[in-house]
Amino acid sequence: MSAKSPMLRTLLLGATIIAGTAGSVALAQVPPADQPPGNGNATVSPGTPTPPSDAFSAPSPNAPQSPGVNAANIPDGPPADPSEATPMVDQVTANPAHDDWPGYARDDRATRFSPLDQITPSNIGHLKRAFIYHTGSKPGPGQTNKWAAETTPIKVGDGLYMCSALNDMMRIDPATGKEIWHFHANEKYESIPYTAACKAVVYYTSSTVPEGEHCHHRILEATLDERLIEVDSEDGKVCEGFGWHGMVNLMKGMGESVPGFVAETAPPPIVNGAIITNQEILDGQRRWAPSGVIRGYDAETGRFLWAWDVNRPHEHGEPKEGEHYSRGTPNSWAAMIGDNALGLVYVPTGNSAADYYSAMRSPEENRVSSAVVAIDVKTGEPRWVFQTVHKDVWDYDIGSQPTLMDFTKPDGSTVPALIMPTKRGQTFVLDRRTGDPVLPVEERPAPSPGMVPGDTRSPTQPWSVGMPRLGFAPLKEADMWGMSPIDQLYCRLKYRRAHYVGEFTPPSIDKPWLEYPGYNGGSDWGSVAYDEKTGILIANWNNTPMYDQLVSRKKADKLGLMPVDDPNFKPGGGGAEGAGAMAETPYGIVVSPFWDEYTGMMCNRPPYGMITAIDMHTQKVLWQHPLGSARANGPFGLPTHLPLTIGTPNNGGPVITAGGLIFVAATTDNMIHAFDIHTGKEVWNDVLPGGGQATPMTYEYKGKQYVAIMAGGHHFMMTPVTDDLVVYALDNVN
Amino acid sequence: MSAFIKPQTPAAWAILGLAVVIVLLGLPLAYMGAELMFLGGSWYYVIIGIAVTAAGVLMAMGRTMGAMLYLAAVGVTWLWAFWEVGFDGWGLLPRVFGPSILAIAVLLCLPALRRMENAHSTSVREVA
Repeated sequence: MSAKSPMLRTLLLGATIIAGTAGSVALAQVPPADQPPGNGNATVSPGTPTPPSDAFSAPSPNAPQSPGVNAANIPDGPPADPSEATPMVDQVTANPAHDDWPGYARDDRATRFSPLDQITPSNIGHLKRAFIYHTGSKPGPGQTNKWAAETTPIKVGDGLYMCSALNDMMRIDPATGKEIWHFHANEKYESIPYTAACKAVVYYTSSTVPEGEHCHHRILEATLDERLIEVDSEDGKVCEGFGWHGMVNLMKGMGESVPGFVAETAPPPIVNGAIITNQEILDGQRRWAPSGVIRGYDAETGRFLWAWDVNRPHEHGEPKEGEHYSRGTPNSWAAMIGDNALGLVYVPTGNSAADYYSAMRSPEENRVSSAVVAIDVKTGEPRWVFQTVHKDVWDYDIGSQPTLMDFTKPDGSTVPALIMPTKRGQTFVLDRRTGDPVLPVEERPAPSPGMVPGDTRSPTQPWSVGMPRLGFAPLKEADMWGMSPIDQLYCRLKYRRAHYVGEFTPPSIDKPWLEYPGYNGGSDWGSVAYDEKTGILIANWNNTPMYDQLVSRKKADKLGLMPVDDPNFKPGGGGAEGAGAMAETPYGIVVSPFWDEYTGMMCNRPPYGMITAIDMHTQKVLWQHPLGSARANGPFGLPTHLPLTIGTPNNGGPVITAGGLIFVAATTDNMIHAFDIHTGKEVWNDVLPGGGQATPMTYEYKGKQYVAIMAGGHHFMMTPVTDDLVVYALDNVN
Repeated sequence: MSAFIKPQTPAAWAILGLAVVIVLLGLPLAYMGAELMFLGGSWYYVIIGIAVTAAGVLMAMGRTMGAMLYLAAVGVTWLWAFWEVGFDGWGLLPRVFGPSILAIAVLLCLPALRRMENAHSTSVREVA
């Protein structure tokens, strides 16, 4: 029996509508995606990769790079040997000025904590819009919406600095929103990978250019089209002393690629004079996708310093002429964080290319994927690795930025520690010097060997048992949801039709499998905020399972799945987060939310998003509740306008202020929320002009505290896209 | 003669419409519920689906028993919902909200249905 016949589908839909009109209470709606094909998919015997047919022949991974891939035609020069960075002076993020928010996560420890206390739970009723600034970047006519700016401005002294979704940089007056300068990156639409995003720019103070001269203070960004750009903070003109006319070509040595395959969306940290770059490689395309190499560049000159290339572990120079960085290696796209004292950069890694099939990965890749890797910023040599998922085939790449803290042990001693949130909702606390767990981590049995021939799963997986879990118990059939008994029953059927044995259910070919937690987290790129004085950690997270299925190569061809660098590739034929060709492996992958595709509502019961406060002294939950209301979501994509806090999917981090407040937007209700940190009570909110899928920030200027949020929206979260930076201040303060 | 009512009054139209809706709800419940049962899931849906479909058909035939059967099914549903999810509001919502709204409609139709059935049986008796 199955619900495949069109008549039954119509009947179902009709019945759901009828039943639903009675009880249409809200729901977080999730975006469309291809549905797993279901039973009977294993038509081709798996095992050996079948050579692709002519229609699906992507270029050889060893093909030379086409000229247009180097977006600004930056001359590269010969391959460089490893070298050391120009010594660095103290940066503004080391000890941020009281009024400033000088870095993406404010400081060198990524705390997202501000000492500002003008705005408090008692006066927050006076928090009103001060100004809106328009970045000028949003989808043009005829362009598919791939926008999600995800931007957090930074504020240093008299300037508010930010980037647009397409990497323009600008300086804004912090009091009025007036644009002081605007640097045009001239980025092409084709260069957008999965998402047009620019999380933040980086403020850099030069050690060689004297104060008062051009480019003493610089604004740095890494772009979607793989450039590092440095401009002067006063006039927005490029720093000629950096790279080639202010730019470095990050596609050098990457080999074959096409625009949009490789991109930078996170602010590159500067550690002891070295800019560290990672890059997002489009998921699910081909086994031999461009490299996930991590590289260091001199912050003064843009000179290449070193590379950490997983499958060339001891070669730290650039690849020889005609060679390229090792392909298909785990890519890192999260914001990294540096540690000047230990000379390390902490790299949250993702997965090897072809996320859902691991049989072709090297032992070196298997050691460092979905892990925190601490790399020596002098040499590019990894000093330690802590893995959060072994042989990841669930796209549990780490999206969060690590947060640094001093952890006080029961015996009173202090450990320099690192908090690593993960998509699994397991939050690991590690010793920054060694990578050893500070709080207990257990290796627990996991489903093994799995269901894919020749691709065995790890018999155990790590669990951070000393930290509260940002997640719920495994799904039961009774957890299925809907508006009516009919759509609830449909979800119960979907649940029963899939493989599911709890977390780490191995991928399957014969029918879909349930992935829970889903690849949106737990914790994603929003990361966490931490107040060092009180020891309170704030995390907002997701509860959104996925419904996935491996498909045979024949089926993948039939579905039209092909990698982005295939000459026949058409946009929409396969996405980064939906169905993927996984070319050069035996299987393709179909990924969809675990939802009722007729109503567009998630199949699991709410909440779909939560916010949690954890006392890091005791590792106990202080409070936890659903985050986000049902106002802008509902069945069939219709807003319900209900002010019910149901808990929606959320992307974007929290901010803590000394005024005792938490600011977080992130939710699909298009609101920014403020919570009293001690009670968890929502004390204020405002409806934004677009989706608030970004981390807010706060600063003080001329005696007035401001709160800024990029309401850029998010195409995947289906929230309205705008180019509006919305800035708030108290209306009773002059 | 046809087993189904031939509506001539607004009340009869309402009853027939309600009966059709109830059948439309019952059929997928029974059909998908059977698959769910075969897949090792809950038996509630196939049982209730059959009951609700039967209730709708009986109501369409102008039988009070159809309405009573539907109300009984909703009563069982409440008990089952409490058993499955306790007093959790979000959990109860899909299970009982829609069916209970319909139950109110059925209750409102009940007097008219009674009258219709009485009239029908009277006419049948007269013919006999």
